Amino acid sequence: MIGLVIIAALAALSFAAINFYGMKRRDPGTSEMQTIAEAIQEGADAFLKHEYSVIIKVVALISVLLLVVVSWTGAVAFLLGAFMSASAGWIGMNIATISNVRVSNEARTTKNIGKTLKVAFQGGSVMGLCVGGFALLGLAIIYLVFGVLLKQATPEYLTFHTNWLGISDIPFTMTVSSYALGCSIIAMFNRVGGGIFTKAADMGADLVGKTEAGIPEDDPRNPATIADNVGDNVGDVAGLGSDLLESYVGALVSAIILAAYTFFSNQHAADVITHRLIGKMIYFPLLVATVGLVSSMAGILYLLLKNVSKNPHKELNMATFVGAGLTIVSSGVVAWFTFSGEQVSSVGFNLGALSPWISAVFGIVSGIVIGQFAEYYTSYDYRPTQKIAAASQEGAALTITQGMSVGMLSVIAPVAILGLCIIAANSIAGLYGVSMAAIGMLSFVTVTVSVDTYGPIADNAGGISEMAKLHPDVREITDELDAVGNTTAAIGKGFAIGSAALAALSLFASYLYAQAGESAVNGIELILNMVNTLTLTGAMVGAALPYLFSGILIEAVANAARKMVQEVRRQFKEDPGIIQGTSRPDYKTCIAISSAGALSEMKYPALISVVTPLLSGFLFGAEFVGGLLIGTTLSSIMLALYTANAGGAWDNGKKYIEHGHYGGKGSDAHKAAVVGDTVGDPLKDTVGPSLDILIKIMSIVSLISVSIFSRYNLFSVLFK
Amino acid sequence: MIHFYVIFAPSEALIASQLGPKDFGMYMAQGSKKGSAEQLMFAEIDGGFGEYFDWDHAEKRCVRHEDGRLKNSLYLSIYRVIEHTPLEAYKMVYLVTKDGRTLSLEKEEYQTPENWKGFGLYKELSPVHPLIVSSLNPKALADYIINGTTKKISVPALIFTDIKVIDFDDMQHSGNIGGMYDRNLDHLKACIASLQESDEKMTKTVDRSFDSKFTYQIIDNGIYIARDRSIIFFRMPSRELLKASAYDWGRSANIF
Repeated sequence: MIGLVIIAALAALSFAAINFYGMKRRDPGTSEMQTIAEAIQEGADAFLKHEYSVIIKVVALISVLLLVVVSWTGAVAFLLGAFMSASAGWIGMNIATISNVRVSNEARTTKNIGKTLKVAFQGGSVMGLCVGGFALLGLAIIYLVFGVLLKQATPEYLTFHTNWLGISDIPFTMTVSSYALGCSIIAMFNRVGGGIFTKAADMGADLVGKTEAGIPEDDPRNPATIADNVGDNVGDVAGLGSDLLESYVGALVSAIILAAYTFFSNQHAADVITHRLIGKMIYFPLLVATVGLVSSMAGILYLLLKNVSKNPHKELNMATFVGAGLTIVSSGVVAWFTFSGEQVSSVGFNLGALSPWISAVFGIVSGIVIGQFAEYYTSYDYRPTQKIAAASQEGAALTITQGMSVGMLSVIAPVAILGLCIIAANSIAGLYGVSMAAIGMLSFVTVTVSVDTYGPIADNAGGISEMAKLHPDVREITDELDAVGNTTAAIGKGFAIGSAALAALSLFASYLYAQAGESAVNGIELILNMVNTLTLTGAMVGAALPYLFSGILIEAVANAARKMVQEVRRQFKEDPGIIQGTSRPDYKTCIAISSAGALSEMKYPALISVVTPLLSGFLFGAEFVGGLLIGTTLSSIMLALYTANAGGAWDNGKKYIEHGHYGGKGSDAHKAAVVGDTVGDPLKDTVGPSLDILIKIMSIVSLISVSIFSRYNLFSVLFK
Repeated sequence: MIHFYVIFAPSEALIASQLGPKDFGMYMAQGSKKGSAEQLMFAEIDGGFGEYFDWDHAEKRCVRHEDGRLKNSLYLSIYRVIEHTPLEAYKMVYLVTKDGRTLSLEKEEYQTPENWKGFGLYKELSPVHPLIVSSLNPKALADYIINGTTKKISVPALIFTDIKVIDFDDMQHSGNIGGMYDRNLDHLKACIASLQESDEKMTKTVDRSFDSKFTYQIIDNGIYIARDRSIIFFRMPSRELLKASAYDWGRSANIF
């Protein structure tokens, strides 16, 4: 079985390699296009190298801590997770910086949107395949080496073991948690660092270049324009790839951990879980991920091999539907062959062998519906965003007010769907079903990341077309591809947030199991006592934490953007030849400002996510941290949905006006909409995507450390 | 070589320069040191006519700097320029964006605008600046203002442009027209209505200045320059033509 998983992962990575080298062989266009693309590539490479040089120290520190406090297997798994996530981010960003100029050239030489879409999607598919391939390969290695060879995943070993510090845990849960933590730490740095970089550059380029100097978007006279394009790669590609890989691994791991704890806590229950069944429950998530990966590859192939029409949105949707449809069918077959004939009622599967599959389908359907709601609230084809555009006629204050309203209104529907999904999945297959719903949502992540990554590649291609002064028809093609990318990105964020909520709930259940420890051997009713003042206080602090986290992030963006604004103003003032087109701007200084801002500020949010559960655990104990997790999870979901949708709606409200509504460009409505878009930028591209990583890092850190601070905490020393 | 430029927006001036039109446009929009940015419109003219302007002064002073740099600008007049400039002297009109990009408009035979709606919206550019609505076509309007019966309210020469008129009841689908119709639309409608209700009223002032709201996006047919009983016309290129030949300018002018 595990061999199939590894073969699928290697096949995906091979497919990625084929597309990578296929892309490299394409014509990169004129020498001017290549010069611009090289500047973007150099900037992106330099930033990621700097970022990784910072991250590697943090990774080394955490791995040593895991080695000392948990186990060597945890430390190795953590390093493997970090390596897989970093590799996916690195390769994805590399292919994006190789693809952008080739997409631009395809548009230039063919003037055909369908052919250009194919090239952009081929580039995006490398990222998608790397996310699916690396995530699954790492997990398969963990399962094979630690689970099978070291027998951690064998039923006999799924029991509490005590390490040299006297701390007890189920080793395999610690190993896979550590793997997920490795992925999450890289994702946090990539998302936060990339998010600060890209928004500082974007705001600097817009506020001075466009608003003050009156030069158009992506004009080579703007000193921040290369940094802006670099930001698309480090934020929207590397950040997005690591984020989705982390979400994917988080969902898979939450199911595995939950299965292990369910088995342990029911060892002496009346309806005993058989060893064979628990083994299947542990590897079933990997099988679903495998068929999801293969189905996604089929979806990607479908788009790359067919004659593509002139409707990019339809074509991308079809690739996703092919991947999703095949995943639904094949995972149903896998579920039937895995669980038929087993006593599945012992693990709470109320609809027989297909129970976990039905839960996964609930997850897929919920993800799609949440994505549709995200599109409804953020696309300018619908009323909410059009209302923001209309409100902009009355000035920036009403743009902000209306956007906030849209963002807040957009929260209830996805949360209600998530709630229904949780209730339905739990009713059908218990908490394991909830984690399967999370897996379902992300089972075809390979194709969705491919679609998501194509967007920033098309955006960059547009920038290169503009800077290289290519024919307006070329820019129209890349602009249309970019516009579709904005919608797919909003839908992708809906999937990431939804799956994070489901995975966090599963991890939280595992946390309660782990808190109960060895005493849970005779079955346990998972209860979080909210009347307990420690839990309640923890929940309050937890609910406030995402605001602290977001505040730090927004301030970091504002600080870096302020420096960027000052630098662009300085360059324009000191060298009038820049605007006149006779001098070349100093692009590198702007890239350095964004880099420095991102690198200096990205540590604190990451630190908050790791240190808060540890510190509060050692001060107030496990009940407090339980409340903290619930508070943070609930608050983060709301805030993430609000920021992602409000930011997306502000952005597209501005675009709606630019398409010739309410006066179009240059009107008062447009000026107000630009303010709204600028306010929304750090919300949707820095804060929102980072929040779902925050809740998973906190959940996993708490899960890993609960057995320690349950025993050693200041509160119990002082008051018990 | 000395070029002579009549700037008619934002303010009126006659300037001699050694710079060609595009470089002059960039220089005037962005300056060499001032660090500000503003859009402007000017025309290149043949100099040497009449006695009113000091052409000799231009010949003497509009020379290279000691370090070899070209002379950017030498002001010959900042007042009553167009009234003393014959229409035959005008060569080309140039529209300069805030970031210094220049679009050249060629002189054409005047033609009554197609699709005449019974009224026209006009932005007077020089020497006065109001936004007016009129039941007269451009040529008749110029004749009315320059040679009309009420001599107390007239100007000796006039540069103006006609403005795109949209469906005022559907601002949502206005098109890319900038801030032209952002404010006081009811007043504009009332002005048009009062004009249509009266056979005697030829013009109605909508706004006394309107300079801050004027953008190149709302120029309909082009720029008109009238003096005495004559008028010359500089046609604004179509969107398609702009896309093919002046895309960068169009982007800077918020047309694309």
